[in-house]
Amino acid sequence: MNLKLTEKDISLLKVISQIAGGFTLIIALTMIFSLIQLKVINPLDNPALLSVKEQFDKDPANGAKAEQVRAMDLMARKAYFSSRWQVEAGSYLLLAGGIIFILCQRLISGQEKRNPLFPGEKPVTSIQKRGERKYLLVAASVISITAVAASFIMRTELPGLSGQSSSISTEEKRSKETAPDPDKTNYPFFRGQDSRGIAGGSGYPTEWDGASGKNIDWKITTPKPGKSSPVIWDDKIFITGAQDKTCEIYCINKKTGAILWTGSASGIQGEPSVLPEMDQEAGLAVSSVATNGKEVCAIFANGNILCLDMDGKLKWSKNIGLPENTYGYSSSLLIYKKLLLVQFDSNTKLSLIGFDIESGEQKWETVRKGRPVWSSPVLGYFNGSPQLVINGNPAVTGFDPITGKELWAVECMSGDVVPSVAVNGTMVYAVTDYAKLVAIKPGTGASIIWEDNTFTPDVSSPVANDEFLFISTGNGDVACYNAAKGDTLWTHYFMDQFYASPIIADEMVYLLDRSGVMHIVQAKPKFQLVSESALGEATDCTPAFSDKKIYIRGKKNLYCISKN
Amino acid sequence: MLLLCWQAILYSQERFPRPEFESGYVYATNQMPTQRAPGWEYLDVTVLVIALAVTSWLALKKRSRQGLIWMSVFSLAYFGFYRQGCICSVGSVQNVALALFNDGYTIPLSALLFFIIPLIFALAYGRVFCAGVCPLGAIQELTGFSPLKLNKRVEIILASIPFIYLALALLFASTNSQFIICRYDPFVGIFRLNASYTMIIFGVLLLLAGIFVNRPYCRFLCPYGVLLNVFSRFAGRHLTITPAECTNCRLCENVCPYNAIIPSDLDQKKENPEKPRKQFIIYLILIPVFALTGALVLYNLAPALARVNTNVRLAGEIRTEKETGIESASKAVIAFKEAGKTEAELFSEEQVIIQRFIKMAPWAGVFLGVSLGIGMISLTVRTRRDEYKPHKGKCYSCGTCFKYCPVKVTT
Amino acid sequence: MDEEKNKYQSRRDFVKKAGKLAIIIPLALIPVALSKKVSASGYVWQIDPFKCTQCGQCKTNCILTPSASKCVHAFQLCGYCDLCGGYQRQGVKNISTAAENQLCPTAAITRKFIEEPYFEYTIDEALCDGCAKCVKGCADFGNGSLYMQIRHNLCVNCNDCSIARTCPSNAISRVSVKNQYIQKDKRQK
Repeated sequence: MNLKLTEKDISLLKVISQIAGGFTLIIALTMIFSLIQLKVINPLDNPALLSVKEQFDKDPANGAKAEQVRAMDLMARKAYFSSRWQVEAGSYLLLAGGIIFILCQRLISGQEKRNPLFPGEKPVTSIQKRGERKYLLVAASVISITAVAASFIMRTELPGLSGQSSSISTEEKRSKETAPDPDKTNYPFFRGQDSRGIAGGSGYPTEWDGASGKNIDWKITTPKPGKSSPVIWDDKIFITGAQDKTCEIYCINKKTGAILWTGSASGIQGEPSVLPEMDQEAGLAVSSVATNGKEVCAIFANGNILCLDMDGKLKWSKNIGLPENTYGYSSSLLIYKKLLLVQFDSNTKLSLIGFDIESGEQKWETVRKGRPVWSSPVLGYFNGSPQLVINGNPAVTGFDPITGKELWAVECMSGDVVPSVAVNGTMVYAVTDYAKLVAIKPGTGASIIWEDNTFTPDVSSPVANDEFLFISTGNGDVACYNAAKGDTLWTHYFMDQFYASPIIADEMVYLLDRSGVMHIVQAKPKFQLVSESALGEATDCTPAFSDKKIYIRGKKNLYCISKN
Repeated sequence: MLLLCWQAILYSQERFPRPEFESGYVYATNQMPTQRAPGWEYLDVTVLVIALAVTSWLALKKRSRQGLIWMSVFSLAYFGFYRQGCICSVGSVQNVALALFNDGYTIPLSALLFFIIPLIFALAYGRVFCAGVCPLGAIQELTGFSPLKLNKRVEIILASIPFIYLALALLFASTNSQFIICRYDPFVGIFRLNASYTMIIFGVLLLLAGIFVNRPYCRFLCPYGVLLNVFSRFAGRHLTITPAECTNCRLCENVCPYNAIIPSDLDQKKENPEKPRKQFIIYLILIPVFALTGALVLYNLAPALARVNTNVRLAGEIRTEKETGIESASKAVIAFKEAGKTEAELFSEEQVIIQRFIKMAPWAGVFLGVSLGIGMISLTVRTRRDEYKPHKGKCYSCGTCFKYCPVKVTT
Repeated sequence: MDEEKNKYQSRRDFVKKAGKLAIIIPLALIPVALSKKVSASGYVWQIDPFKCTQCGQCKTNCILTPSASKCVHAFQLCGYCDLCGGYQRQGVKNISTAAENQLCPTAAITRKFIEEPYFEYTIDEALCDGCAKCVKGCADFGNGSLYMQIRHNLCVNCNDCSIARTCPSNAISRVSVKNQYIQKDKRQK
């Protein structure tokens, strides 16, 4: 362009370009600010709005709070959309300003008279080149040396190139595990397989009468009283009993009711001489037995652990210390692979201990935080790996059952935590009386999915399958929730209190109240009572299910109920 | 919870059954707007060819700097703001590398053409692509108001960066790890009027620096420029400063903003040919040594470079998590755990990727070593110039020097 | 002197010719090598909704503001529930369209009563910003009928998609222009 521009034109162009430049700069700054506001300080998620929403959640009936949330939400949205609009409009303004600036500058510089420069002395090319070569070589060597240094520094962070990493991976590779289906014969822990509260098999009796003996197969008197629930493996039932300091475990033939053998858990080295503080009615035999078909283990409220083989021969025994807590130690045992898992709760120490089941050697002990509880551990399978979940105070915690390592914890409980958690394929449900019921998604970043505080049992543990969660309380209320979303599907008020934990068997829920009446309802979204059968004796223990027969331990007797 | 969802979605089981409408409700359908038809990409290729042809004519035949500037404006508008800078020839090297070394990727024909056509024109007419067609070059050309001259020694060091950039870009693209050229492209944010603010700030700062040190990206960063440089050196016809014979008036000596004019050395003392010849041979022998060193350095660096790959990084995070026992809070780790892939699979994938890096990185090292060797050689070769000519590899055919040459062709 | 110069020139020419050949050959070989791997049509980026973990990065990582990825509703899969996991916030007590109950921060989902007890939920694309909160809610508590997809009338089709780069579950990949979208209600998985 051979435009001849006058001096005046040039000064005008200079002014225009300065204005354009300044305008561009200002718009650029405001735009960057808006962009930062949009992306970093997201107006839609600002903490003020979130806190108001939280407050509203706690008090949903409050109309004023709702209004506040609406107002803030509207403001947040306005801020967000206006930032967005600003960014869009701003970018066009920026472009326009930039173009004007550049155009003016080009015109100005195009007009600048450039006198032909007569260059100075020509540099000697060979010397020039030598200098260039030197610089290039130096630069190249510096870069190579830094690269080599970096590779050595970074090398330590990475897996070895040969088999080192693969050995790590095979060692720690564990095949994915899913929850095994409950067995129809074996009921190895408190509340059955993995302590989940679901019984295997089908064809369980629904009607019986203790007074008349209808459908009662046999009934025996338990030698010593206790609160432990019966546990079954093959043909053997195991229960414990204690009188004062004498602790015993009984093995009973499930077909006849005959006591096959009695194991003594007294006189174990380290046993405390003084009875611990506990519920006088309960005694020392509160925790349920655990068995895996080869060994059977029992723990008592004085800290005595006993491990015998299926014929009653002692394998090992020890005392793990006196658990001091208000109501007396009551956590039941679990066995996972070759480990006996003990949830130890004492005022002075809380821990989860893993013992080698064959030798009794303590493999690991994970210290837990908080206050002692009376719940029992439950084994759940999530994302292909097993987790031991304990309902604790204040946190519900998940542990790795092989190493004892704490995997996750959610603080949500308080008070006297007695009920154990319920688990299904994906969630953990924990509840405590005078606290609340929470549904937790376990794993890294475990969080509460839903919660409710309408029905809270004091003793009875809830039970869940993938669709429903059932709760029975000490008031006599029974509730059924949608397991995933937490909607209350139905509730029913029975007159009697529930201490025993409900068991799901045969797509029905068996609820045993304190007076010995078994209420059976359908495990369905609508309340449907199947039957109510009275045992005729007070019962607190959770029933055991095996091979089409139900075994209930009453205050004094053990019953076998079958359809015949 | 999520496991349940995965199963539900994967096996098409719905948590809530489909409703049975009684009121005759008809399901709404979603609009699924498509990308512009693939045919338009071939229009872009046609525009590319025409633009290259016109630029070549403007630079070599018509010799009009103004014309080249208007070409830059057009390319900036079309390839830059209209097509939003993607897909460009600079990034296409990655697509080619990805396609050559990975079975799962088929390169679109238009991307391949964008890669090859400017190189063909470079072989024929020099770096006309840079002159008036590349939008990145155009934006730098148009904002280069007051060029400063850089010390040649500093320049030679900075000019080695594109080689390293190209080597790394090819390495990462061929191992399917990342497209770093696209990720760190400073100007595409300006073309789209939309990018992360860090990228825009980098682009604007580069442009501001470019007011003084012209074409900073082209000279010191552009990886495609390495290829154009090589191809342009063998150009059949190249832009010349003078339209006819050079009179050695020296008026053009210091006008090139890119230091691409090589003066004649008629008045220089003739060197003893022995020394440069010896150096030439030394450097020729040193080429394999450089290549080997480069290969070794990069072989060692390969596992560290492999961390650019997301799978390798994820595997590293999982490993640290296991060793330290501290749960990783990163989204990738959480998503991995939910997805159901076993750790063994991840670790074996990681090994495969690291092995690939170990195989390919030494070649990048060889490339760098050979480039260094050739660079050194070209600095030893004796010039015997009796004319002022632009350096065929470095000259961007921008035509700034035209108006300084007093030689006029009389018709 | 001239002889030397000629020799020099011929040597130079020879080097030049050799060099030219040395670079033309790879240039010609590349298209041959890629001949099987060339597709006539281009590619687009696509989110696989079955891999997506609803992490919310689609909104923040797209270079465009607002993001080119938006929520899409597969009506055929929807349960038309009263309590919609993608519409209502968790733990909400009374179900309504009130702002305090809505999950969507930009109010992009509209709820319409169809018949008892079914409600239709539609997404206003202009308001949707791709944060995936509703997708997560629907996946967790509903049928998973809300899902994220990249809208190709908005997507600039970068060579290196910055959402794909950071997607934690590698759910975004290049696909042929022929199947640009995965429509959940049409796909049998």
